[in-house]
This record gives sequence, structure tokens and C-alpha cells, in this order.
Amino acid sequence: MAASKEEYKFSDILAYPEIKERWQKVRRYFFLRESTYDMSNRCNIRCQGCYYYVGDKQFAPENRDEQAWRNLLLSEKERGITFVVLAGAEPSLVANLCRACHEIIPLGAIATNGLIAIPADIDYRIHISVWGNDRTSEQIRGASDMLGRQIANYRDDPRAVFIYTFTPDNIDEAREVTATLADCGQTISFNMFSAPTGYQGPLRHTADSLKKTREVMGELLADYPGTVLFSAYNIVAHTESQGLHDLFSCSYPRRNQSTDIGLGRSFRQYRTDLQWDREAACCVPDTDCDDCRHYAAGSAVVTSRMYRHAIDPETFSAWLDYVDTYLAVWVRGYEKGRNLCNTYINPPVNK
Amino acid sequence: MNTETNQSIHRVAEIIIDELILEDVTPETFDPDLDLVDEVGVDSMDLATVALVLRDEFGVRIDEDDYPKLTTVRIIAQYLDDKRNDSE
Repeated sequence: MAASKEEYKFSDILAYPEIKERWQKVRRYFFLRESTYDMSNRCNIRCQGCYYYVGDKQFAPENRDEQAWRNLLLSEKERGITFVVLAGAEPSLVANLCRACHEIIPLGAIATNGLIAIPADIDYRIHISVWGNDRTSEQIRGASDMLGRQIANYRDDPRAVFIYTFTPDNIDEAREVTATLADCGQTISFNMFSAPTGYQGPLRHTADSLKKTREVMGELLADYPGTVLFSAYNIVAHTESQGLHDLFSCSYPRRNQSTDIGLGRSFRQYRTDLQWDREAACCVPDTDCDDCRHYAAGSAVVTSRMYRHAIDPETFSAWLDYVDTYLAVWVRGYEKGRNLCNTYINPPVNK
Repeated sequence: MNTETNQSIHRVAEIIIDELILEDVTPETFDPDLDLVDEVGVDSMDLATVALVLRDEFGVRIDEDDYPKLTTVRIIAQYLDDKRNDSE
């Protein structure tokens, strides 16, 4: 099928100076190839709805041998991995292993609850999870004075970005958390609770909670532009009634049969025993794919759908904002630019 | 191999070289049967970029689901020619 006549040429879209500048900025990072690694099967807290303690991965024995991790990372580098995500259950409990990874592959991010400071020489982006105000954290995560302790551990630390996970119960609390972080000069980005497989609890989003979350995200993005790393298109992509897979067709191996190119070819999710399983491989294993609106998934899945967004200047600008946000959240030293599209556009379908 | 496909091969090679800033190769020396992923190091975002420029140049939409099939310059050129012929 020939391209439709009313569709913009890519060169016409890039004729807009701001779009071209942003495109040239983000495309320099197309070399990033990610994989994720569970570092420890232990955690110092236990959160309701945690994806890690679902399925088999929690039972994998820990490999605590630094040299084994170095060897793994060397082989990962050899096969082209340039970005690592160190996660489950709590990486700060094994800082020596995180350091071993950093020595081999210097670009990456660590997902942590932030209650144990990760040494400064491990120069990855550090994602500190927040699930509401301190009262809610105590109820859901069993930890007291959580935000204050997290801020104390990462005050003035340029590695840190706080990741606020919206559940149906903590939507309004995002205001006070964002205000507190803004006062401390920290940055925040947003995640959506995505139900683990088989989860029947109250944290699963509903149509009403998605709508309310969208409103609060928009309010915070407008009120705290220097603090909130997000965009209008991030809000749309993560608060639609459909999940990421339905909207964008997930490209992680778990939902993508192709091993020819892209994430289906390169992505692996290693467990603590340094083994991986293609059938389970995605950035948040054991999440119910139909409910997945996870920020980490979106960073790869929305970004990979560049072609379908290059249909007009507004839609491509929205996609650029999303990619600019993803890079600012995940890559040390990357500075987010001003959002180019501040209206809510519908995600384009694959024609 | 007809003239149309040869011209397409040359143009596809030219676009790939320009967009991916490949060094030490010209459209004339680019082996059209090289595997773009395994032997040139092209990944999905590279291919999406090339696909957008090809869409401008050839007026042909490349379906995202077809990316895995587009493994060489020759296969891409043939794909574009077939799509153009189908639409005529």
C-alpha cells in the first residue's frame, strides 16, 4: 500500500526546527540495548502487590560470586548489551555485585526502595520507588518514615529519580509527595501499578482510577515542570483503558515471537542464579500483560514504535517527548528538554 | 535482475549508508546480500529510521510487522518494488 496523500513525509516533519533538534538529540541514544538482572532474592521490606514475589523467579538461588557476575556482564557486553537494569528483589543489599556490573557495563539503572544508600561510585541512575505518603507506605510496605529516609539517603545525588507508583488508593497523595520532593530539589517520574499474574487485590486500576490518575498527573506536570519528568503523551500512554500491549504491541520476548531484530532478539531477564527463560523475559516478569502500564515497559515499547508515530508533526512531537522523558529517567547525565506537545493525542494504530 | 530493482538496490544502500553513517563503504561497494542485523549491526530503531526515509523516497509504507523479514538491501529493494507494483 502506498503512503496516503494526507500523511506527512518524514522530511516535512523534520523541517520543523524544534522537532529536528529533538530528533537529533534522542537518536544519539538508539545504541542502547538493555537487559535486566535480578540481583538478590532478598528484600528489607515486603510490599503488597510486589511483582518479584510472584512466580518462580523468587525461588532461584542467589549467585553471590562477583567473578561470576563479571563473567556474565562480559558475555552480555560481547553480545551487544549496552545498558543494564539491576532490579529484584533489592539490589542495595548486594552493592558489591552492582559495582561489579558497573565496572563492565557503565550505563544502567538500579531499581531500589531507597532505604539503604547505594555507594556513590556505582554511577548508575537510581530509581527510588514511592507508593504514596508515609502513612500509606507504612500500610502497604511495612516501613515507617519512608520518604524522609529515602530523601536523606539521596539528598543532592544526581543519580536519583523518585518513581511514584499510582494505585487507586494513593492518587491524591502524589501531590504532597511531589511538593516535598520539589522542596528538596529532587526529581520524580510516574509509574502505574500493574497487577502481577493472578493478583486479586485492591491495587488494580479501574476506569475511574485511571481517569483520576490522568487528572492528577496532568496537574503535577503543569505545577512542577522542573521536578516532574513526564509528558502529556506519557500520561496518555499509561492511563488509557487499554494496557501497553494492546496499544503498542509489546516488543519484549514474552509477547514477541521474533528473534530476528530488536528486543525480541537481544533482551534477556536474568534471575539471581544467572539463568534466563525466553518465555518469561520482559522487564517486569510475572506481570499480567493485559494490565501492564509499567513505566519500564513503556520506555521500551512506546519508544520502539517510532514509525507509526511519524505521521504528522504533533504525533511525532508527542513520541519525541516520550523518548526524551525515558532517556532523562534512565540515562545518567541526560537532560530532559521542554515538552513539544502539551495536548493529549490518541496513540496511533499500526496501519 | 531487472533495472528497476538494481536502481532500488543502489538507492536503498545509499540511504542506509547516509542514515546510519556507515564508513568505508559506498553504494557501489555495499554487498546487497549482507545480513543487515548480523553483519552490519543494524537494530530495530535503525531500521525504523531507514524505513521512514524509504517511505519518503519510494512512497511505500513498510509495515512494522515486516521488519524482521527485511534482512538485506536486496530484500528491502525487492519489497519496495513489489509494493509499488501492487499499488499501480
